[in-house]
Order: sequence, then structure tokens, then C-alpha cells
Amino acid sequence: MDISSWDGTISLAEFHVAARALVEKWKRVSSASPPWSWVSCPKQPWVASHEVEGYLSLENIILVSIKEEHDELLSFPQKEETSCSDKEESIDIATLVQSQSDRDEICYYDLHIVYSASYRVPVLYFRVYYSDGEPLEFEDIKKHLPAHSAKTLLDSKWTFITQEEHPYLKRPWYKLHPCGTGEWMKLLFQGDVSLARNGAAIEVYLISWLSFVGQVVGLRIPYEMLNQL
Amino acid sequence: MATVEIQSPSSVRKVVVHLRATGDAPILKQVKFKIPGSDKFAKVIDFLRRQLHRETLFVYVNSAFSPNPDELVIDLYNNFGFDGKLVVNYACSMAWG
Repeated sequence: MDISSWDGTISLAEFHVAARALVEKWKRVSSASPPWSWVSCPKQPWVASHEVEGYLSLENIILVSIKEEHDELLSFPQKEETSCSDKEESIDIATLVQSQSDRDEICYYDLHIVYSASYRVPVLYFRVYYSDGEPLEFEDIKKHLPAHSAKTLLDSKWTFITQEEHPYLKRPWYKLHPCGTGEWMKLLFQGDVSLARNGAAIEVYLISWLSFVGQVVGLRIPYEMLNQL
Repeated sequence: MATVEIQSPSSVRKVVVHLRATGDAPILKQVKFKIPGSDKFAKVIDFLRRQLHRETLFVYVNSAFSPNPDELVIDLYNNFGFDGKLVVNYACSMAWG
């Protein structure tokens, strides 16, 4: 890949390579955390027959608690998780329901990473809901996003949240708009020419991307994921 | 890989941070700083933002990931520092004004 002329975007095939790399590495270094998984989807009619369709999924996770400082990645307690992080016990999942718009309780995130054919970059789709499954209103989501990171990213021209129909699930989800992604991914990788030369850029593309985009929702990437970056 | 020294509680381990401009980002007059390891990375980000008067700055380590602002500088240094310092890169864009 010639970094100087690269526009920061990737092909669908490259997205698959990057997705596989993310899933494998995440599983390897972060066995205590819920894993990212690949969800295959029925092909859209216009997709070439040799190409796989799907997206990355990380669901039912707690990313932020009430007015927190630290963002932890925890497993959803209801599932039969074989590996539970120690920190789970210290979270008090008490529900304080005052009024509909003032619920002050743990909320859960579903995160999907979907390839955008029009922008040629990954896009983060997410939804946020209470333990009873009720989705949060957008204003309440904004209150639950980690203050520092979210403000930074949302103030930037390059990242803003829109609500759109999930391309596969056909339901409204929130997404981080991809229009600036190619630009800033190119900016990032131009700092290291060696990354381009030995072709390693694609393997780490999603991990790099996620370290930025994940901050909007408070997803912390374990250090071991970042070691070769 | 940097190693942690055992410090007495009264001494605060300082970390040398080297700020590196990438792409067309402006280069600072002073690029090396010593900050307490117990500080959060947010301090580095905020400092850069104030110095460069830019809201849209990409601040990243190595090549390339963005540390969460809540991360402690000492943790970042221990994991990603080399040659006795933590290199923090920054980039901004001209294209979007």
C-alpha cells in the first residue's frame, strides 16, 4: 500500500481481513472481556457472489456507569459467562427509577462495526438500553457518554452521531457518521511509513480506528491490543 | 520496554513526554516535557489543544492509536514508552478548515 497516495479508505475485502485480525487478537489478549464476533448476513443482491457480507458485533456490554470516571468493559451479568471479571461483583446494579427521562441506572450497549460501501470505511453503529431493554432517548444517551471523550469527538467536524436504519437489521440505530473517517485514518497512518511498506496497515486498521471511535461510547481497548501499534 | 521503578509514596514518578507533529501540524517551540506519571493523558491532550488553538486535533501514540484521556501517563509510558520517553504524536487537518 502506498501511503502517500492512499486516501485512508479500505475495500470490502480489506475490511474482512481487518475484522478477522481484530476478532482474533481481541480473543487472544482479552479473554476476560466479551469477545467481538463476526455476524454473517444474507447477501444483498448487488454484492458479488464471492464476497461475504456481515459485520462485527459486541453486545450487551456495560461501558459507563453513573457519572463515572473510569470506563470498564464488563460482561452483561445475565448471560452465562464462563469468565467473569472480578469487577462485576463491585458493580451495584440497583435501579433508581425516578421518572422516564431521569433514570439513573446502568445502561447497556450493543456495538456493531459495519462496512460502508459508499464511504469505503468502517462505521460504528450502536444502541443503548436499560436492563429492561428499553432504549435510551438520544438526550439521555448524550448524558451517559463519557464526558471528556465524547465532547471532544462530537465537537469535531469529523464525528457526529446520526440515527439511521441499521443496514442489516432494518431497525433504527445510532451511528457515528463516517464522512471524515478516510481523512483522519490517512492522517494517522502517514506518521509511520514502515507500516505501509510491510503491509501491516490493514491488520491494524480496525484496531487503530476503534481506539478513536470507541472513545465516543467509552470503549476501552486493552493495552495488549495496541502493543504492535 | 520501560520498567516501573518502585517509588516511595512521597516521590512522584515523572514521565518525559515528547510531542511530535505529523503531517502539516504546527511544530511547537518546546517539544519535551516532564509530567507526573499520575496525571491523566487528558492533560497532554488539553495542553496540545491550548498550544495549537485547535479543537480538532488527533493525538495518538506510536502508529497509531488514541489513548483514552482517562489513562494515566505512567501506564502509557510503561506500556508504550521507549528510550526513556513517551512519544505523543499529533495531527490536524487542513482540509476541513
